[in-house]
Amino acid sequence: MKNVFQEAATTLDIPSVQEWKKKDRKVVGYTCSFMPVEPFYAAGILPLRLRGINATSMEIADSYYGPFVCSFPKALLQVAGTGKYGFLDGVVLSNGCDTLRRLDDCWRKMGQDIKGSLPPWFHYLDVPHKPDGHAFDWYVNQIKKMMAAIEKQFDVTITQEKLYHAIKEQNRVRSLLWELEKLRRKDELKVTGSEAYTAIIAGTVMPRDIYAGHLSDLIEDIQNRTVDVAANRKRLFLSGSVCDDFDLIHLIEQSNAIVAGENLCFGVRNDEDIVSETGDPVAALAAKYLSGSVCPRMMGWYQARSARLMNRIKNINVDGVILQNIRFCDLHGSENGLFERDLEKNRLPSLRIEREYGPLTESGRLRMRVDAFIEQLSSGNQTR
Amino acid sequence: MSIVAGCDVGSLTTKAVIIKNKRVMDSAIIRSGPKPAESAAKVMEKLFDQTGISQKEIACCVGTGYGRGKIPFIDHAVSEISCHGKGAQWLVPTARTIIDIGGQDCKVIKLDKQGNLLKFVTNDKCASGTGRFLDVMAKVMNMEVSDLGRLSAKSSAPVIFASVCTVWAQADVIKHINSRRPAEDICAGINTAMANRVSMLANTLKIENDLCITGGVAKNDGVVKALAKILGCRIKRIKRTDPQLTGAVGAALFAQERQQALFNNPNRRYL
Repeated sequence: MKNVFQEAATTLDIPSVQEWKKKDRKVVGYTCSFMPVEPFYAAGILPLRLRGINATSMEIADSYYGPFVCSFPKALLQVAGTGKYGFLDGVVLSNGCDTLRRLDDCWRKMGQDIKGSLPPWFHYLDVPHKPDGHAFDWYVNQIKKMMAAIEKQFDVTITQEKLYHAIKEQNRVRSLLWELEKLRRKDELKVTGSEAYTAIIAGTVMPRDIYAGHLSDLIEDIQNRTVDVAANRKRLFLSGSVCDDFDLIHLIEQSNAIVAGENLCFGVRNDEDIVSETGDPVAALAAKYLSGSVCPRMMGWYQARSARLMNRIKNINVDGVILQNIRFCDLHGSENGLFERDLEKNRLPSLRIEREYGPLTESGRLRMRVDAFIEQLSSGNQTR
Repeated sequence: MSIVAGCDVGSLTTKAVIIKNKRVMDSAIIRSGPKPAESAAKVMEKLFDQTGISQKEIACCVGTGYGRGKIPFIDHAVSEISCHGKGAQWLVPTARTIIDIGGQDCKVIKLDKQGNLLKFVTNDKCASGTGRFLDVMAKVMNMEVSDLGRLSAKSSAPVIFASVCTVWAQADVIKHINSRRPAEDICAGINTAMANRVSMLANTLKIENDLCITGGVAKNDGVVKALAKILGCRIKRIKRTDPQLTGAVGAALFAQERQQALFNNPNRRYL
C-alpha cells in the first residue's frame, strides 16, 4: 500500500489513473484546494490536482511568466508545455492567487504556440476572497456555472442524488484523513511525516474509491505498529506555501526531526473539515470550500486563521514550526512574517525559509538551516 | 590533557583548529577543492605537520561547513550556524549577535547569554553580500582581495554602485575604472555595496549588542567600518584568532563539550 501512495505522489504516470482512462472515463485537472471536487465525481469524472513535479527546468514557463514569479504555477505550465498533461480531458483554473490566475492566460497563449498543450476543455472558476454575504452567493453561482459547463462539455447530467452521493463519499475520505491526523497527534508517533504526507498527496490524484481503501488499510497498519518514530527526535510542524513534494519533508526528517503535522494546502485541517450532507448540496459545498479561511488568499481573516492554526499546532504538541514559502509567494511570504511574530508571543520557536518549488529546491542550503534549527531546539532553553 | 579538533569545510576555504587544554594550539587554512573529504584530509594533514600531533591523539573531532556530512574521520557533525555562534561567543564572550560572512553565504545569528542559538537568518542564492562578491570585484580591479580593505581607507569620495548584483556591479567597476576614478574610491564603493547588502539581512533580526563579525570578510576593515556605520552600532572585532577560523573554533569547542560529557558520564548518549 505504501508503494501505491509513493507511486501516485512521485510520478505523473499513475497506474490507477491510467486504468481509469483505459475504461474511457474522463480526467480533469485543477490547481487549487478551493475548487470543489464533488461535482466531478458526480459526473463520473476524475478530478486530478495538477502538480509541477518532474519540471527540471523552466525554459517554456519562463517565456510566458518571466523570472520573478512563484515557481509553482511556472512548474505546472512547464509540465503542460512538455506534453506530460496530454492525457487530461479538461482543466479548471482558478484565482488561488494572482499568479495561479495568470496561469489561465499563460496556458491559453502557450496552447496557441505549442500544439496539443491545451486540453480540449478549459474552464475558469472565479473564487471570491471573502467567505460571506455577496461573495458566498457569487461562489454558489460559480459552482453552478461550472456544473453546467461540465454537463455541456462531457454530455452528462449531474443529478442532485449523484451530488449527494459524491459529497458523502468525499466526506468518508476526509474522515479517514482526520483519523490519520489524530494518529499523528499522539505522544507515541507511529508514522513519519514523509509516509503520512505521501498518503495525503496521493489522495488528490488517485481515484477516490481506490484511494479510500488503501488509506483505510494504512490507518489500520499504523494502529498496529509498536515503534515510536519520534523517540529522541524533535517534533516539527510545517506550514506555508503549497508543497506537493514529500522530498522537503524527507529532507527535514533526515535532520533528527519528525514532521508531525503540516498546513500546506493538502489534507484536512480540523474535524469540522467536512461538507454538510443535508440541505442544498451546492450551498453546502460553497460553505465548506469557502469557509474556514484556511488560506491567506482569504482577505481579512488572519486573526481567525492564526488562532485556528495555533490551536492545531498546540494539539499536535510540537517542539518547533518551520514556516516556508516559495520565492515570490506574496501571500505566504507576508503571512509567515505575521505568524512568526505570533509564534514568538506563544514561545514557540520557528524557522522561516524561502525556497523554490519542488524539484528546484536547493537541498544543501536548506539542510544546513534545518540542522541548525534542530540544534537550536536541542540547545537548552527552548520551550515546548 | 585533552586534545580536540574542529574542521570547517567551507565553499571557498577549509579551516581546521586544534584545541589543547582549552586553548587554541594551532590552526590551518587551505583553499577548498571540489571534494570535501579530500579538503578536510589535506587541512588536517597540514595541521598535524605543523603541530607534530597525530590523528590518534585527537580525542574528538567535530566537522562543520557545507561539506560536513562528507568528512569520514569526524566523530560528529554540527551545522556552521551553531559553530559560528559557539566560536564567536568563546572568542568575544559579550557577543549576542554574530554576522558571519563566508565565501558564498552570509548568516546573522542571535545568541543568549549562555551561548544558546536563539534565531538566525541566512542569505538566499544571491552571491552579493558574500565573500565571493569581493573576490569577483578584486579580480576585476586586478588586485588581491586583501587590498580592498587597505586601499578603501584612503578614499574620500567612495563611488556609488547602482546595483549590488555581482554581475551588474562588475560592469559598474569596469565603467569607473575607465572613467579614471581613483582605485581607493572604487574599493570603498565595493565595500559599502557589500555592507549595504549584509545590513539588509542583519536588519531582519533585531540586533542586540555586542555585535561581532566572523568569517573571512571580517578581515576587510572597509566592509566592517561601512557596516558599523550603516547599522549604527559598534562592531566588536575578534582579536584572539583569525576571524575566518571562528567556525572551526566552534566545532572544536563542540568536540570539547562532547569529550567532557563522555568523560563525566561514559554511558551518556550525546546528541
